[in-house]
Amino acid sequence: MSLRLTDVGYRYAGTTVPVLTGVSLEVRRGQVVGLVGPNDAGKSTLCLVAAGLAPGSIGGSLEGSVLLDGRETRELRPHEAAQRCGILFQNPATQLSGTAPTVYEEIAFGPRNLGLSVAEIVGRVDGAVATLGIRGLVERDPHRLSGGESQLVALASVMAMRPAVLVLDEPTSQLDPAGTALVGRALARLATETSVAILIVEHKTDLLNGLADDIVVLDGGRVVAAGGASSLLAGDVLPAHGVRRPAAVSIRRALEAAGLGGRLTGGDGDILAGLAE
Amino acid sequence: MGGQFSTRVITLIPVAIAINIVLGYTVQSVLKLPIYLDSIGTILVGVLAGPLAGALTGVLSNVIWQYAPGIGGGTIGPFAITAGVIGLLAGLWGRLGVYRSRPASGTQLLLAALVGAALVILVVLPIVNNQTYLDPSVGGFPDWAVPAAIGIAIIAAIVVAGFTYLRRDLAGLWVAGAGVITGLIAAAVSAPISAYVFGGVTGSGTDVIVAALRQGGADVLNASLGQGFFSDPIDKTITSFVVFIILASLSPRVVARFPNGSRLVTPEATA
Amino acid sequence: MALPAFIGRRPTGAYRRLNPATKLVIAFATAAIAFAVREWTGPVTMLAVVLVTAGIARLGRPIVKFALATIPLVISILLVNTFLFPGATDVLARVGPFTATGTGLAAALQATLRVVAFALSVAVFSLTTPTDDLLSDLERRGLGRRTIFIIGSAIGTIPRMLERAREITDSQRARGLDTEGSVWRRIRGVVPLAGPMISGALSEVEERSMALEARGFSASARRTTLRTLPDSQTQLVARWLILVATATLIVASLTGLVHLP
Repeated sequence: MSLRLTDVGYRYAGTTVPVLTGVSLEVRRGQVVGLVGPNDAGKSTLCLVAAGLAPGSIGGSLEGSVLLDGRETRELRPHEAAQRCGILFQNPATQLSGTAPTVYEEIAFGPRNLGLSVAEIVGRVDGAVATLGIRGLVERDPHRLSGGESQLVALASVMAMRPAVLVLDEPTSQLDPAGTALVGRALARLATETSVAILIVEHKTDLLNGLADDIVVLDGGRVVAAGGASSLLAGDVLPAHGVRRPAAVSIRRALEAAGLGGRLTGGDGDILAGLAE
Repeated sequence: MGGQFSTRVITLIPVAIAINIVLGYTVQSVLKLPIYLDSIGTILVGVLAGPLAGALTGVLSNVIWQYAPGIGGGTIGPFAITAGVIGLLAGLWGRLGVYRSRPASGTQLLLAALVGAALVILVVLPIVNNQTYLDPSVGGFPDWAVPAAIGIAIIAAIVVAGFTYLRRDLAGLWVAGAGVITGLIAAAVSAPISAYVFGGVTGSGTDVIVAALRQGGADVLNASLGQGFFSDPIDKTITSFVVFIILASLSPRVVARFPNGSRLVTPEATA
Repeated sequence: MALPAFIGRRPTGAYRRLNPATKLVIAFATAAIAFAVREWTGPVTMLAVVLVTAGIARLGRPIVKFALATIPLVISILLVNTFLFPGATDVLARVGPFTATGTGLAAALQATLRVVAFALSVAVFSLTTPTDDLLSDLERRGLGRRTIFIIGSAIGTIPRMLERAREITDSQRARGLDTEGSVWRRIRGVVPLAGPMISGALSEVEERSMALEARGFSASARRTTLRTLPDSQTQLVARWLILVATATLIVASLTGLVHLP
């Protein structure tokens, strides 16, 4: 497995109330796990813990075990953790170093920090660009990209670190629909073309529909449900914890309730999924 | 890498530099006010991260401002020394816990506010009463200097006392004190630079004061000093108050992660 | 696989072609000599040097803009020093209550030349040396990644913040908080300007620092160089010669060993 949390608890520095309690989850190579839950459930904190940034970079006290490709995050220095687990946040502007004149050099920022050889850096940058399909952006000025393009470049620069695990904390929440679609497609490519283990927090469950293999529901710092994506997205657990169902699922349920379901779906709800986009 | 130059501090410094330059430029060139307001970032970094980080922020702000295409040019570069000193002092105040919140109420608060006001007046009185400053042949101030000084002292006293009282925080006094001392030292460091490098003027609104002092007979260095001792404490005290307000608005959780964090946050705040 | 061509871009043009370190040394030397070698020699010769380099680099129009930007300062220097120079007795003219003195005028002109030489020297440097070229070269020579990042990030953030500041002052003007009005009005305008700008900038610091960590910023390896700016033995020798000459000139002038007009 690539990411394994076992009975993890976490408290921010200087506080007494834990934000996470007894959390166990696992993301294997090539698997996509969606993390959902109401606000303040601790999803963002869980992302920081998974990436080793908590407690490594922000302090706080961690209980339990967080294994990244077999190593405990406690034992990893920040740059070692970064090569095992990449993390992407919501705000496109803060993800880029802002010091590179071209997108190519921005993506090379990470590998350069590691002191890799020029040949190795070229290989990694080209690989990341190819996987995310952003060849047309390489010469552009990183300051002049749209939100969606910035997130793709940020994603590429994280992938250039060749992590085994990728954690995304609401990557599309600050993007317009075009940007969201861009990032959604890129993530789908990542999932199918690489064996990266992906943990993605998303409010837009439409995105998870079709992308995620499994779903984990977090509420009040604890895991309250976990299971296959299709069953959880269609079931009643999500609404019970303040998470909206994907539009496609809602439409299908409404049609089924009205007795029209069978005639409008074209196998796996494809038509409805297309409507929802 | 840790200590005063952790990654977090390295990320804060460029933002602080940009704040210094943009705010300084806007206040001086767009709003054309006779204050500088170009040290907020420097003092903020000094207080949060320590003297070296603060000094670096100050020096780089001036150097980059001079070099920046479009808004550069003029006299800013050589004053990097002053900016460095301001950053160093801010680091010192941060370490000493000057910017830590000290909530108070009732009589204690009222007393503190009155003491603050009294101190301000006391500091200004010797300047006003000093014969050397009143006698033009020795190199003194023009006629309007005395009433102006008294007026400024009263306003300053009200501001310091009011700030302390309204925020219910004794730190207001300490912050004001730190601001005044920083301003005086900054003036002392700047005056020689201004006098010997630029002939005593800097191209900003404060040159009027320099002119007035020279009209009163002061020589180049003393005129610059006189102008500095007037403008800098005001500017640096305002800046210190602004930094204090900024720190108060930041989440204690975040402040605690900076090198001086433990001296800025009271233990109860993060519970 | 090789680096794409646009990475290895090299500057072209007479003066711009020089290695950034060379241009930096020249800028530093002209500024230092202009300030430290007193009286007329320093400022006049350095101003000449700066104008020559500006000519070689064909910087006519932009340089004029930089020169014009120094006008408010120059006027201030000329007026205050000519008319209010303490202790001067060689009167040139009387204008109302003010007397212009020869000593004052001389001091004013010298100061003006110093200021203009300095400002233009920096201008020539910044106009002929893109930031990324300078920082790449300095990093290759060993300046730490943290300093490089601070300078690069600050220079990159300023234009955006200036834009934001401009938007805020414009919207304030539309709402009547006049930027040309009374002093009190303008003071009131500072808070709604400074507040959002500062809080917006600071709110991103935590996430930016984590994004840097996620890209291995705190690794201890020597950062790989992708761009190498051309340098030459001639330039290396020239740099050292200039530095030594500058130091000598300054010491000689300050200690009074050499008396220059």
